[in-house]
Amino acid sequence: MNSICVLIIILLLSLMIVGGQQGLKTFLGLVLNFFLIFTLIILVNWGFNPYIVMAIISLMILSVAIYLSAGRAKVMAIAWQSSLVVTTVVGCLSFLTQHFAQVQGYTLENSDELEGLSLNIGINFSHLVVIVMVISALGAIAEASMAITADLFEVIERSPDITKESLSEHAETIGSQILGTAVNTLFFGMLGANIPLLIWYLRLHYTLAEFINAKLLVMEVATMLLGMIGILLSIWLSTYMVERRYQKEGRNLLDESDV
Amino acid sequence: MLIMKKQLGRLAIIAVVTILAFFFARFDSFLYSAPVGQVTAVKQTSQESTTDEFGNQDGQYTQNLSVKLLNRSGQTVKIQNQVMASQTMTTNYEVGDQILLKEYSGSYQIDTIKRDSTLLALVALLVTATIIYVRFKKTSFLLLSVVLNAAVFVVALVVDVHVKSLPVVLWFSLVAVALAALSLYLVLGRSRQAHITLVATAITTALAVFVMWFVLLVTGGIGVHFETMSFVTQVPAPIFYAQTIIGVLGAVMDESADIVAGLFGLYRESPHRPFKDYWQAGLSVGREILGTLTNVLFMIFIAETIPMVILMLRNGNNWSYILDQVMNLGILQTVVSALGIVWAVPVTAGLTAWKLRHQEEEAAK
Repeated sequence: MNSICVLIIILLLSLMIVGGQQGLKTFLGLVLNFFLIFTLIILVNWGFNPYIVMAIISLMILSVAIYLSAGRAKVMAIAWQSSLVVTTVVGCLSFLTQHFAQVQGYTLENSDELEGLSLNIGINFSHLVVIVMVISALGAIAEASMAITADLFEVIERSPDITKESLSEHAETIGSQILGTAVNTLFFGMLGANIPLLIWYLRLHYTLAEFINAKLLVMEVATMLLGMIGILLSIWLSTYMVERRYQKEGRNLLDESDV
Repeated sequence: MLIMKKQLGRLAIIAVVTILAFFFARFDSFLYSAPVGQVTAVKQTSQESTTDEFGNQDGQYTQNLSVKLLNRSGQTVKIQNQVMASQTMTTNYEVGDQILLKEYSGSYQIDTIKRDSTLLALVALLVTATIIYVRFKKTSFLLLSVVLNAAVFVVALVVDVHVKSLPVVLWFSLVAVALAALSLYLVLGRSRQAHITLVATAITTALAVFVMWFVLLVTGGIGVHFETMSFVTQVPAPIFYAQTIIGVLGAVMDESADIVAGLFGLYRESPHRPFKDYWQAGLSVGREILGTLTNVLFMIFIAETIPMVILMLRNGNNWSYILDQVMNLGILQTVVSALGIVWAVPVTAGLTAWKLRHQEEEAAK
């Protein structure tokens, strides 16, 4: 039997045992996201405008990520709005990054895997760079805004007469914790994934100048940095939105009757 | 209105620092030993359209570039550049682009575009935003740990490259423990909390990688193609294990830290709780993070494969072949990381609950 299938079955069972219903939802979310990205690839391959396809699919992935998790309707609404704004910002930053750094496509280092492939395929790879950067950041953005918004609502619920200042302080503590987690995860993920490439550079005695300007490495590092920026911005914006609504609506914020 | 003004002010500071960083690195060519040039004029000649054997239409053109040498005498040289419209291997240059050059007996060739200013701008954006948002005191340790970890990692790679017949998996396991210890002790201090987190992380990572190894052994590794790994300079399977160890570790470490922190908070509130209380609380903290982390890792993996998948599709390959050749190792690694993330919850909750109970019994004696 296929080894990867066995591991996927073990994962599904573990998710169900440890996570219960939430675990099952996580698995469902993964499958849905897989199909959405599958659709994105097919549409881009058919020649649809890559940015429009990206915008629509991103919107759907965000909605899946947020509305599939359990929580208050208002938490989801705030998380959704803030991640939408942040994704747009990260999209613009990705576009600028690609414009200035030109990290599209491959280099001579890829010769082995590209052997026998036609490279003149008529799809502009610089568009694909932006897609890769935005999709990579999406998951992190959605989850960060969801986490901070839900935590802040919990803080408001637990402490009946919390002031705005005290709420900001809580937000800062929770926010820096989420940021720390996410930064480390992305950082180690990037390091781990690029061991072969880095070893390759070292074996070929790349100079420092070649290292920090290398197309493949800059692509990876820039994608990671944009993900981190996305997380930070969504923590920031979600906090700001919760604080503003708390200031405006007071404790009615917790009232769910109007939604 | 006041908050809004404050936020806008903060955003303005971040924007200014980012732009300054970008322009600063555009004037750093004197630091380079290789020649650096700036494109001053582009003339496009000879455009033709191409069609490959799969019917993909593309365009090809030649650029005549005038490049002013920045860290040499300042003279201007002419360089020809071939570009494909799809830009899979080639780059289209515009006026103002800075380029690293290679000099061969007096004539110059393009090495690559200079990317340090973009990289520096992104780093500046992230660091300033972090400092402004969470204040320097709280973030300084996080930034320090990232920098130190990167340094340790580079040393580890240099050792791997220079030592012959190094036990790669063992070596990277040691490196992984060192990296985890470094970041945990920097952020949490030398506390019991940090010890427990480190042990839980190590156990979970070992467990996940061990199960992967075991499944591969039992099933005979059917459907796993280590030979599809890119940039191979040594035996691929051990390197893959090393990659997986580092990746799982990063995801698991902070998840465990969150669970341990939550349980220690509970203990501080009121220490006299039965094992079951801690266990349940640990599971519920873990369940919240579990979905998050799995999803984040999954999206990163799948996004990175998009260009290659499209290239393969346009080359007339079918999906099952692409899944096998392009996504194979990525899927395996993501699944193993996800296993680590899921198992970290019971492992950490159990270990912490047991330790806290133990601590209370000691205190009672």
